[in-house]
Amino acid sequence: MNEAEVVIIGAGPAGLSAAIQSARCGLRVTVLDEFMKPGGRLLGQLHEEKKGVWWNGIEEADRLYEDAVNSGVHIRLGTTVYHIEKENRWVTETSEGTWESRCLLLAAGAAETPLPISGWTLPGVMSIGAAQVMTNVHRVTPGNKGIIIGINPLTMAIARELQLAGVEIEGIYIPPYEKKFRQMETPEQILAGMQRMAHLAPSFLLRVGSRFLVNQWTRQKAIQFYPKKGLSVWGIPIHFDKTVTKIIGENEVKGGFISSINAEGIIKEEEQYRKEVDFVCISGGLYPLVELAAVAGCPFYLIPELGGHIPLHNQTMHTPVEGLFVAGNITGIESAKIAMVQGETAGLSMGKAVNGTSRDIEEKLHQSVQNEKRIRAEALIQFHPEVKKGREKMHELWQNYVKESAAAKE
Amino acid sequence: MMDRETIICRCEEVTYEELITTADSYHCSARELKLRTRAGMGICGGRTCRFLIEDAAEESKEKVYENIPLKYQPPVRPMRFDEGGKNK
Ligand SMILES: Cc1cc2nc3c(=O)[nH]c(=O)nc-3n(C[C@H](O)[C@H](O)[C@H](O)COP(=O)(O)OP(=O)(O)OC[C@H]3O[C@@H](n4cnc5c(N)ncnc54)[C@H](O)[C@@H]3O)c2cc1C
Repeated sequence: MNEAEVVIIGAGPAGLSAAIQSARCGLRVTVLDEFMKPGGRLLGQLHEEKKGVWWNGIEEADRLYEDAVNSGVHIRLGTTVYHIEKENRWVTETSEGTWESRCLLLAAGAAETPLPISGWTLPGVMSIGAAQVMTNVHRVTPGNKGIIIGINPLTMAIARELQLAGVEIEGIYIPPYEKKFRQMETPEQILAGMQRMAHLAPSFLLRVGSRFLVNQWTRQKAIQFYPKKGLSVWGIPIHFDKTVTKIIGENEVKGGFISSINAEGIIKEEEQYRKEVDFVCISGGLYPLVELAAVAGCPFYLIPELGGHIPLHNQTMHTPVEGLFVAGNITGIESAKIAMVQGETAGLSMGKAVNGTSRDIEEKLHQSVQNEKRIRAEALIQFHPEVKKGREKMHELWQNYVKESAAAKE
Repeated sequence: MMDRETIICRCEEVTYEELITTADSYHCSARELKLRTRAGMGICGGRTCRFLIEDAAEESKEKVYENIPLKYQPPVRPMRFDEGGKNK
């Protein structure tokens, strides 16, 4: 059995930032991650924040990793966590043995939402995140020419990365719509969400005209009279009036059938035509990877603004389960900068949990919570336009929970 | 409308048709739908299709707010038989 004061699951921006803070508080910290490189989702990220200023995730990951190692953090890669359980202390079971710890931080990040499309089991069809990892982490292009199905901030960021790697994107299309599935949206609903892509698709918004986005009727018209060739961003056509009804090929992807789709999501199959490509990316958005929080018995609430079911937590990253903390995308889908500052807060909270309170730590915690709000207000990439509202909902739910459990004790 | 022959659970090759006809004939919960069709019971442990199974089942939307319809159970990743029960 291995032992530490703090065990952190996930070596992404949240987990590594937390590890650094806890180690600086004097704690013995171990970070576990199933991937063979540290950095989590940072490893795939490359975008231009302002003219000439690039966000390079690999450099950010290297910096965090070095800081963590220099602060005395143990990092175990290639280590898959299967189960966590609270006995006297937390017990974490992994492919490389068992760890015992006083505090446990879940920083497991997010996973991609699937969009089932006819033919999506063919080799050459992948999630957009897989294409990002292939290209930016493993340096293998997913193909020569591809189609992306799904329009959201992740699509725009990764389409640009693929283009920078010399891969041709034939076009970006609306996913087919099926009312039954809650993660599927009509073209009109997707267009409404375009505001959150202001930074990633400025030229597109200028051309569609942001006034078209403000009400449902103008959005319907925008789709009805949408240019047949699409509107281009960085030379990549975006089709708000077309969908891919079937991915075709026998042993691998050869192309797709494209059809018109109206604002309500109804497809006109009679206008179907075929496009030849050698790979297809499906981009359904992200949801928090909460499986370990669920296994630990943490209460959950569904908060769509944060991307799905979220473990109950407060602003200093405590859950109601003793010694269990959360940080990063597991608390809601946001950018890497938010994950980092949440990690710092969690690291400080664990320092306080082990060492007890002091004026210094209270001040740092207060500062870190304020930093998170400031960074959110300045964020360029927003996965959901109402994320702030989602965070406020969670804050309220936590306060209710505290009140109710105090009442129950009396 | 989605093509009914579309595969929803990739690991166990369960189609949309199978899911909705099963949900219609038995009025099942997400868990029952999973057990009847094996959707979500393959190697990925339902990490890909769990939401689709939840939505295909006939459960009231309110309950979803405070509960995750399909329970998560350890191990949360596929593991080798020889790793089970070991206490390294
Ligand atoms: C495909 C994809 C692309 C993204 N692109 C961008 C982008 O371009 N810009 C941006 O700002 N944000 C992007 N994001 C959002 C991204 O999640 C955040 O930016 C940030 O990386 C979240 O940090 P995190 O530390 O919470 O999680 P992550 O960075 O996801 O790190 C979580 C880590 O936990 C590990 N882990 C999870 N479960 C286990 C387990 N059971 N056992 C062991 N290890 C485990 C994972 O291997 C991973 O390394 C993207 C997310 C995804 C999924």
